Amino acid sequence: MKHARCWLLLVVAFWLLPTVAFAQPGKKPPTKPPAPPTAPAPGGDIEIDDPNAPKQPETPPPGGDTSPPGGDSGGGGICEIDPTACPKTGDIKKLADRPVKADVYAVQQIYALRRGRFEINPYWSQSFNDQFVSHPGPGLAVNYYLTNVLAVGINGTFYKPFNGDSDFNFENRRATRLAVPLNEYFGGYAVNFTYVPMYGKFSGFSQFIFHYDGYLVGGVGGLFTRPIAVIDPDNRKFDFEHRIAFNVGFGLRIFLNRWFSVIGELRDYIYIEQLEAISVAPTQQGQQDKNTWFGEKPLTNNVQAQVGISIFLPFSWEYRLPK
Amino acid sequence: MSSLKILRPQRKNMKTSKSSRRKLLGLATAAAVTVGVGLTAAPQEAKAQEIQLTGPLAGAPAVRKLRLYREGRAEIAVGGGFTLLDEYKRTIFISGRLQYNIFDWLGIGVFGGFSPDALSLNTDLTDKIETNAPRNTRTAVNLPGTRGAPKYEQQTGKMSWMAVPQLTFSPFRGKLAFFQKLFIDTDLYVHGGVAFVGVKERVDCGGSAGVACTDPKAFTTAQASRVAIAPSFGLGLSLYPSNFVSINIEYRAFPFSWNRGGFDSRGAGPDASFPDNQINSEDRTFRFNQMVFVAAGFHLPTTPKVSE
Repeated sequence: MKHARCWLLLVVAFWLLPTVAFAQPGKKPPTKPPAPPTAPAPGGDIEIDDPNAPKQPETPPPGGDTSPPGGDSGGGGICEIDPTACPKTGDIKKLADRPVKADVYAVQQIYALRRGRFEINPYWSQSFNDQFVSHPGPGLAVNYYLTNVLAVGINGTFYKPFNGDSDFNFENRRATRLAVPLNEYFGGYAVNFTYVPMYGKFSGFSQFIFHYDGYLVGGVGGLFTRPIAVIDPDNRKFDFEHRIAFNVGFGLRIFLNRWFSVIGELRDYIYIEQLEAISVAPTQQGQQDKNTWFGEKPLTNNVQAQVGISIFLPFSWEYRLPK
Repeated sequence: MSSLKILRPQRKNMKTSKSSRRKLLGLATAAAVTVGVGLTAAPQEAKAQEIQLTGPLAGAPAVRKLRLYREGRAEIAVGGGFTLLDEYKRTIFISGRLQYNIFDWLGIGVFGGFSPDALSLNTDLTDKIETNAPRNTRTAVNLPGTRGAPKYEQQTGKMSWMAVPQLTFSPFRGKLAFFQKLFIDTDLYVHGGVAFVGVKERVDCGGSAGVACTDPKAFTTAQASRVAIAPSFGLGLSLYPSNFVSINIEYRAFPFSWNRGGFDSRGAGPDASFPDNQINSEDRTFRFNQMVFVAAGFHLPTTPKVSE
């Protein structure tokens, strides 16, 4: 039994030993006697600055000068191997006195990596440049990031129930008897490329930090539009037709965490619109002829301000390099 | 003594029973291992706490060595202001901002600008009204009887100047990386104040004004000027490519009511929302005026302070 107690105490002591070592304040490790020099194997490499490397025989150069070139006595292994590469004292002083630009701009690991992730972006779109009729509507964009700065994706917006004729349009029409041709949208879609050339971070009240990026977006798709019959509403009735629409835009994405962000975007959908004819045929037969209903086909810029949220999937990832 | 008597048989029993001894030894060893593990684990947690309390980042501010681009500096910004979503006239202001920043997050200043008539540009609608709108009894109050004499654009409302004493609040400071090569310090700010806007509108006519609105004089008389007072607010982004110069992009809204088309649109009928053949203050309609200001800013003193 006495032996058993001793063993138990020994076990406990061993368990406690590393813990005690952790808790102790840092002390200088005991000086270890230098290992005896080991001779390299025949044909083996000599490692520079190897403390165990064999010392070269100290043979004084002819003329009795024992100092290395440049007068540096502490050049290390490089001075012994290649004296021409040995740093000179003057050079070191010159380097030390060199003005150092202390302002270091550094961006650490990018807060939210995008490569290989899907972005799901529901948004609300609002007309930005049409005083006469507004085209708001909900939309959804899905992007896949091929690289950290380049994504391919699609988006679609549903406008149909939200088209609105503005009061200004009515008042202008009443005052000048000049009807401005109006159009409404059913919906739109596009295939896009997104490029993210800039990112940054903001410190809020010097208390917290949030990250954001700015991106450019462009693509091609289509819009389903039709004229609103304002010139001759008694006879004209239009159907939605497909128009090819190119789009370019830019946006700002503010990350609330690594997979959730808020997005504001301005995008210009450029397409050729079909307007209602501003003249009415003199005869009833002509008025009912569809060929007389259509007027100009101007190049139209439908600038939309889009506000939404963005969710990145998968939610997490691993950095390739450590912080 | 009696206790000794009791113990002796136990010792005897232990000596005689090897299996029970092994069991006891096993239990004791397990207990020792458990205690050892527990004791070993406990100080490790304490060690982690110690780092949290005394680590180099404990209690450190979110940002060190922050360039205080604003604090204690005056800024003179010069640039252009461009109105948005215009109906009849696009106004370009030659604009400027004079500001003193009391703190890095708070500044006080004046935004101002002027726009000569040459920088009030017609929208497409104005040109279409000039060329296409019919001239008859239904439009006689709103448009000159003869096309081009005078031109319709001469009666449209214009903004000729504006002055906005304002406060600027800059809660967000940061930096922006372009193409992962170019790094620029930035700040995001909001501003608010009171806008005094010089507005030119079609002169009053009809009713007590003396001149009928259908009279050619009602169109040829010079526009009336007044000062509209409105709230002004918005937000902006400043980029600091150097200590001395900044680039500003700013959005501003300054809503107020004015008669932009020079039309008779209010004054009669239910809620006075129908024309009354008079041009007066009742014909002013509410408008959410907006503009974008793009400018280069110059800061004095030329070198900013740096925080600890």
